[in-house]
Amino acid sequence: MTLIWGGLSLGAIYAIVAIGYNIVFISSKTFNFAHAQLTMVGAFVAYTGLVTWDLPVLVVVLMAAAAVAVIAAIEERIAIRPVGDMHNILVTTLGASILLDGIAQLTWGTQPLTVPFFAGDEAFTLLGGRAYPVELFLIAMAVLIVVALGIYSRRSLTGLALLGMAEDREAALLRGVNVRRMAFMAFVAAGALAGFVGMFVGSKTFAVSTLGAALALKGFVVLAIGGFGSMPGTLVGGTLVGLAEAYASRYLGGEYANLAVFLILITILMVRPAGLFVRTKERVV
Amino acid sequence: MQLARRLAGGPLWIVPLALGILLILVPYFNLEYSIVRQLQLAMILSLLVSGLNLSLGFAGELALGQVAMYAAGAYTAGLLSKNGHTDILLQLAAAGLAALLVGVLTGIPGLRLGSWSLAMTSFFLVLLLPDVIAIFKEDTGGRNGLTGILSPTMFGRMLTPEDYFMVIAVVTVAWFAVMRNIAVSRHGTALRVLKQSPVLAASMGINVFRMKLMAYALGAVPAGLAGALFASLDLYISPEAFGFTVATTILAASVLGGSASVYGAVFGAFVLQFGLNQSTDFQKYSLVVTGAFLIIGGVLLTGGLSGLARALWRKLAAGQPAAAPADRSDPDASAGDEVPAVPGKVLKVEGVAKAFGGNQALKGVDLTATPGRVTALIGPNGSGKTTLLNMICGFYRTDAGVIALDERQLQRMGPDQVARTGVARTFQTPNIPEGITVREAVMAGRYAGHRATVLEAVLRLPRYRKVRKGDLAEADRVLDLVGIRHLEDAEATALPLGQRRLLEVARCLIGNPGVLLLDETASGLDEDEVERLAEVIRRVRDAGGTVVLVEHNFQLVLSLADEIVALAHGELMAKGTPEEIQNNERVMSEYLGIDPDAPASPHVVLADVLTDGAQDGVGR
Repeated sequence: MTLIWGGLSLGAIYAIVAIGYNIVFISSKTFNFAHAQLTMVGAFVAYTGLVTWDLPVLVVVLMAAAAVAVIAAIEERIAIRPVGDMHNILVTTLGASILLDGIAQLTWGTQPLTVPFFAGDEAFTLLGGRAYPVELFLIAMAVLIVVALGIYSRRSLTGLALLGMAEDREAALLRGVNVRRMAFMAFVAAGALAGFVGMFVGSKTFAVSTLGAALALKGFVVLAIGGFGSMPGTLVGGTLVGLAEAYASRYLGGEYANLAVFLILITILMVRPAGLFVRTKERVV
Repeated sequence: MQLARRLAGGPLWIVPLALGILLILVPYFNLEYSIVRQLQLAMILSLLVSGLNLSLGFAGELALGQVAMYAAGAYTAGLLSKNGHTDILLQLAAAGLAALLVGVLTGIPGLRLGSWSLAMTSFFLVLLLPDVIAIFKEDTGGRNGLTGILSPTMFGRMLTPEDYFMVIAVVTVAWFAVMRNIAVSRHGTALRVLKQSPVLAASMGINVFRMKLMAYALGAVPAGLAGALFASLDLYISPEAFGFTVATTILAASVLGGSASVYGAVFGAFVLQFGLNQSTDFQKYSLVVTGAFLIIGGVLLTGGLSGLARALWRKLAAGQPAAAPADRSDPDASAGDEVPAVPGKVLKVEGVAKAFGGNQALKGVDLTATPGRVTALIGPNGSGKTTLLNMICGFYRTDAGVIALDERQLQRMGPDQVARTGVARTFQTPNIPEGITVREAVMAGRYAGHRATVLEAVLRLPRYRKVRKGDLAEADRVLDLVGIRHLEDAEATALPLGQRRLLEVARCLIGNPGVLLLDETASGLDEDEVERLAEVIRRVRDAGGTVVLVEHNFQLVLSLADEIVALAHGELMAKGTPEEIQNNERVMSEYLGIDPDAPASPHVVLADVLTDGAQDGVGR
């Protein structure tokens, strides 16, 4: 059970990254390569706030969310909006992710930094396994975000507009939805979310400048499993990836963890390339 | 200026070849060791970049796994050497194959979902690399690196450092010759078509998945070669040489040099190797610089440095814009005295139905188009014309019914297969790849029908030459047929709309299609252009071609069609000769919007509508 808690909480982190990908994907059909790096920056900012400046947790959470939202806004303006071609967006957002990696390395160094968790790091026994508070918190948070976004997208006007945009951008435009503005706001919101969760992610994984690349890839695998645009799919994907990683590294050895995740990715792409929870659409000329 | 102009007249490959020979001869120049070493590393990097270009620049798929293939090549060669197989040729062959294998194995799943998934799947390889090396620690030395690689030999003779430099240079020059031959061959054009639009590629009979896999997997080969060269250069390899930084450097060099060019890879690699990597500060800021560079490069430098150079070159060499003058009426073009036969086939559509969710787009539509006749498909917007067209082409699956070309049923086939069976189409908005001439764009229409493998293209084997000769002759023929042969050297995308439509028709005709589908081909054209197009269609019909015309321009339809099929709400509304359709009450009221019971004589009103609608089509 200890293993399961560990795996599930890792999976929750990946799911949260995938949720960020999804928000951007739904609103603008683009893929923000740098989203995982935004989460990483959130973890670093949280470290600075909590350890270096010794600020209260609530202030730090808000600070991290705001800081990363600003970074996301800048990213959208310089690396996404001016780019016309879809292929180039992959290159520019990858560039943004490398840039963030580099800035993080220069600012915070290459050593892993411990981000303290507000509810302590005393392990306790739950359902026959040892679990850390932050692990349970991450799992709960992933589920909560998915549920909240589900409700929001169906109940609020903005959410409905977003869904409309995802379905047909032009139709939404004709209906009076300011598509560009909405896409920008969604991008910034995804950034704020990344900053917000950064603190808790950092508590589990350490804040380290190589975090981004690993999170980006695992988050993508989660997305591939659940299907692009599917929020509940991220939870299933996260569970699968997290557990696979935990079990592989426990029973086969650490160097098999990534390999296990990679095999899942290959299998899913071969068997069901659109993901488990998205129906394949027919191509339109 | 003078020199540039003269050089531009001769074969352009002379310049890179001369530079290549110069590079091979570098050991005789007694350069400093550090410069020689940088040159070697730059050549290795340019091989890696070139492999990426094949995938990113030509097929339009971002791949980040070049490093993994590089490592596969390096470890293959290193392990061979350690076990006594020191012949560099053997190592190169084995490394190239190993990299190709990695390329094929990761490309198949990675390309299933399109752009992001290939980028991610291949990026994942870079993350996996240290793990895989650690798993086979016994052989690879794990994190400590692989030691004990022996000095390279060739045919049993030990290679001096000077010899080895020449080996690297020869391999590099040879690869770029291969790459250049691919780029200028029909395969290069086909890749550009694919990058422009997978839909277009499929409708021309190109198997999109196979083509992308070909580009991606082939791009692994130079990476494998680079790995083998690197392993025997330092006689030591470790996982550190194959990290994320190298992966991003390759991408940066590709973007800098221009991903869609052949020699841009050399530019980019040399600039990065000699410029940026020299300063010690750069190591510290390398990520920041690379990242910022990729953003700037992605936004501004679409063609990379080679794109800029090419634009400059064109200015110097030509002194006038490259695009041909839009000479609309070429007197020689209408040499339509002898039109070779276009053997058409019978297209039969029976009881075809299609629903999108709850929307029944087509319910049991029948249509028959026979050789030597123009069959027009008309109907109000949303009546299912385009849906029917897309179903014939294989882009949608049928819910029910049969679509057949002569005796072959098409409804279960994918679009590329349908196209190869003999269905050719044009698009509402002409779909023409960038950066190729009119002739090349037309020749691409023969790509799927007349095959020559990549190997044959690279080595210029007889079969390739034969197919190429056929391509050129046929291109001349169909360009004559549509009357734009005088424009064959112009840049295809620079043509005005009317000529781009004619170009699309020519691209269809070059494949000798069993049926030619024209999708709203007259929309947006002025009267002269419509008349020229009509003339071309008549010629094709008289030559025995089967033509299906989806059209809003009612006057054009009346003057051209032998039979008209009118759709409404996904069902057959009317069918018959132009006269019958013109006087059909349902067509008049539902399509033309004329009330037959109105006091004015319908014919008078119809005539009015026709004059108004001649330009932009009736019934909009």
